[in-house]
Amino acid sequence: MDTIQLLLDGFASAASPENLLMAAIGALVGTFVGVLPGLGPTSAIAILLPLTGVLAPTQGIIMLAGIYYGAMYGGSTTAILLNIPGELSSVPTCLDGYPLAKKGRGGPALGICAIASFAAGVLGVIGLVFFAPVLADQALKFGPPEYFALMLLALTLMVSLSGGSLIKSFLMGAFGYALALVGLGPSSGMPRFDYGVSQLVGGFDMISIIIGLFAVTEVLKGIEEKRAATAITRPGSVYPQKTDLKKSAAPMLRGGLVGFFLGLLPGCSAAITAFLAYDLEKKVSRHPEKFGQGAIEGVAAPEAANNATSSAGFIPLFSLGIPSSPPLAILLAGLMIYGLTPGPVLFEQHAPFVWTVIASMFVGNAMLLVLNLPLVWVWVKLTRVPYGIMAPIILLFCTIGAYSVRNSMFDVAVAFLFGGLGYLCHKYKWPVVPLVLCFILGPLLEESFIQTMAMGSGHIGIIWERPISLAILVAAAALLVVSILLNRRTNQRVREERARGMDVA
Amino acid sequence: MKVDKKWTTVMLSFLMAISVSACGAKDAPPAAKQAPAAPAQTVSEPAAKGGPDYPTKQIELVVPFAAGGGVDLVARATADYLSKEWGQPIVVVNKAGGGGAVGAEYALKQAKSDGYTALAVNVSNTTMLTAGMTNPPVKNEDQIYTSRIGKGTLAFAVKADAPWKDFAEFSQWVKAHPEELTWTSVGPAGFSAFGVAQWLDVIGADFSKTRMIVTKGAADSVPKVAGGHAVLAVHTVGEIMPMLQAGKVRILAVAGEERSPFLPDVPTAEEMGVKGLTVFWWTGVSFAKGTPDYVIAKWQDAIAKMEKDPAFAKKLSDIQVEPDYADSTAFTRDVGQETDAYTELATKKNMRK
Repeated sequence: MDTIQLLLDGFASAASPENLLMAAIGALVGTFVGVLPGLGPTSAIAILLPLTGVLAPTQGIIMLAGIYYGAMYGGSTTAILLNIPGELSSVPTCLDGYPLAKKGRGGPALGICAIASFAAGVLGVIGLVFFAPVLADQALKFGPPEYFALMLLALTLMVSLSGGSLIKSFLMGAFGYALALVGLGPSSGMPRFDYGVSQLVGGFDMISIIIGLFAVTEVLKGIEEKRAATAITRPGSVYPQKTDLKKSAAPMLRGGLVGFFLGLLPGCSAAITAFLAYDLEKKVSRHPEKFGQGAIEGVAAPEAANNATSSAGFIPLFSLGIPSSPPLAILLAGLMIYGLTPGPVLFEQHAPFVWTVIASMFVGNAMLLVLNLPLVWVWVKLTRVPYGIMAPIILLFCTIGAYSVRNSMFDVAVAFLFGGLGYLCHKYKWPVVPLVLCFILGPLLEESFIQTMAMGSGHIGIIWERPISLAILVAAAALLVVSILLNRRTNQRVREERARGMDVA
Repeated sequence: MKVDKKWTTVMLSFLMAISVSACGAKDAPPAAKQAPAAPAQTVSEPAAKGGPDYPTKQIELVVPFAAGGGVDLVARATADYLSKEWGQPIVVVNKAGGGGAVGAEYALKQAKSDGYTALAVNVSNTTMLTAGMTNPPVKNEDQIYTSRIGKGTLAFAVKADAPWKDFAEFSQWVKAHPEELTWTSVGPAGFSAFGVAQWLDVIGADFSKTRMIVTKGAADSVPKVAGGHAVLAVHTVGEIMPMLQAGKVRILAVAGEERSPFLPDVPTAEEMGVKGLTVFWWTGVSFAKGTPDYVIAKWQDAIAKMEKDPAFAKKLSDIQVEPDYADSTAFTRDVGQETDAYTELATKKNMRK
């Protein structure tokens, strides 16, 4: 196969000292930026894009891809050690990662996280090699009705995700959706619910809400608990034990597959697949009640999923020029700046470039493993800093992160407002995950609904006349029934668990 | 609640941190910027036309659209050139949302009009915004149109295996079956909407019977046509190029009077007997009202020089944008005329909101 030959050539050039250096710098800088709350891959790439402009195209893109992977990993690190997701896709990692860290098993959790990221990244790269031309065609078959059905499916999952009271999670979901309505309507272009406040015309930003609900809330909780220092005294070895690896192998594979195949669909972000993978793991587990209390599977699956998704996203990006997520849109800008318009032509005209970048992703993933496992102690050290010093630093980063979204103090205010709200939710046991999920999916749901109605001349019937969307709808309905049944059965036990321990959601 | 020592320490240190980071956020408007320390060595040219030295610090170029789109790429290439030219960093900041209104409002109304905040403008967030809304958030009067940089030709794209052999046949089909035409748009009053409205007006088809499918932009819209979920996409040549090269869509015609240099084989609508399709995409730079004249002069001259730079020309052609320089006077005049024409079209087609 000539793709193999091309890939090998790609490896040869990716392994050149300067390209290795670029991948290493990218991975390190990315991890560092990812560790800062709120500075996710998108802002990291956006900030560093001008800096890579001085490099040759191949090196520039290699570095950017490294930053992208690094930031994803950095986000997981803070998610586990501090319960602060650096970006949305690390939220599910918090759910079990942080309890693990509190038990003093932060080290192994980080290790599993790195291994899962690496394994899924590798899976993604292999997929990229074999399926790029084939899968790109499938992505086009998904029209608005299919997306609408897909969103319904994702929202159905939300119900089962929160585990607690169904009513509460529905209400929080509805609240999240209401928040998403603020701003310019996706179809009409008319401002909605802005009350004449100019900042509200732009709507609430996801990142500032996330920073608020997760990071600021965490600081408030910490102040309340009068933490002397974060409870982690012994992170343990970062090299996981055999049992951890054995437990995580299947979740990694499942999460990786979920993340990869859904990641091929434009618009299916790493956050969505990470949530799905977490939920799937909870569903198939024989001990669903252990989730949220520090189950290593709950770290392995979403981490594998979000990395597989980031890799899979390169397929529609390279083969069709469709960026499936914000960071990839910025990478697309990077490619265009170098005069490399993505599309099948890119594979033909710039084959060496494409395959070098693909090979360097592989290298970049390996770098993360090699660099980050030994470096984990640096991140762990961060958690030993007294809380009186740590809290303001976290808040400072939250402020910078929220500010950097749109360079406006409005987003900072939103972050702090939601920090207070998240704290209250935590106090009174209202789940915040449905809020976040509905806030993200709400606009997509609305947009695909309006597009579907336009396609069907105002008749919704088009949704069950198309095989793909019908299949997704049936799956969603089945899932809802199963969720409700399972929910009833486990609710009692979950309540008992909740009474005893604390939880994130 | 007992206020203990630790809590006070936390709050105090936080307050200190925040006051350092947000440079006195309490009395500063959201647009307050602290300029990073200027590089030690700045190549400052003699003051142009008797004005003070400019620029002496970092300039922010606000792009009111997402990264990776046409406006963004041209703005980045411009920032790249000018920062080398002036020896001062020009930072591109994306503030997307509201069809370009959010970023425009920030740059024109919230930021200081001292020449250190520029706005990347295009047809969608200026003339079409004004035409499509009875009360637009930003108006032509709010800004000084400084220079137009480049333009893009609109192309009419359908699925690769669509039944129509050419644009003339397609136009006839649409005239006969307007209710079957679904077209993707980049917003209710963006350039695709005006392009379609003008075309249907010219051929005498019923615009109100066609169905607009609003999308987020070209990356979202062209695949919908390629996948057969909508009949027609009207975008700039550059935005359709990847899908065209992939053989997923066909371009039936381009608007304007001349063929696109990037698609020499594609006929113009004019050649197909559909005359008067004048809607085109352009991008440029503007400043808030009240910005000093020497700033405008300096930008204008530098951009005029930039258009002659072969490296910049290559960057434009890589993204299928044609150079189309206009100085402040010509640019302002063109914008005024375009606004009137589009307002008339929008009123006629009942597009004003």
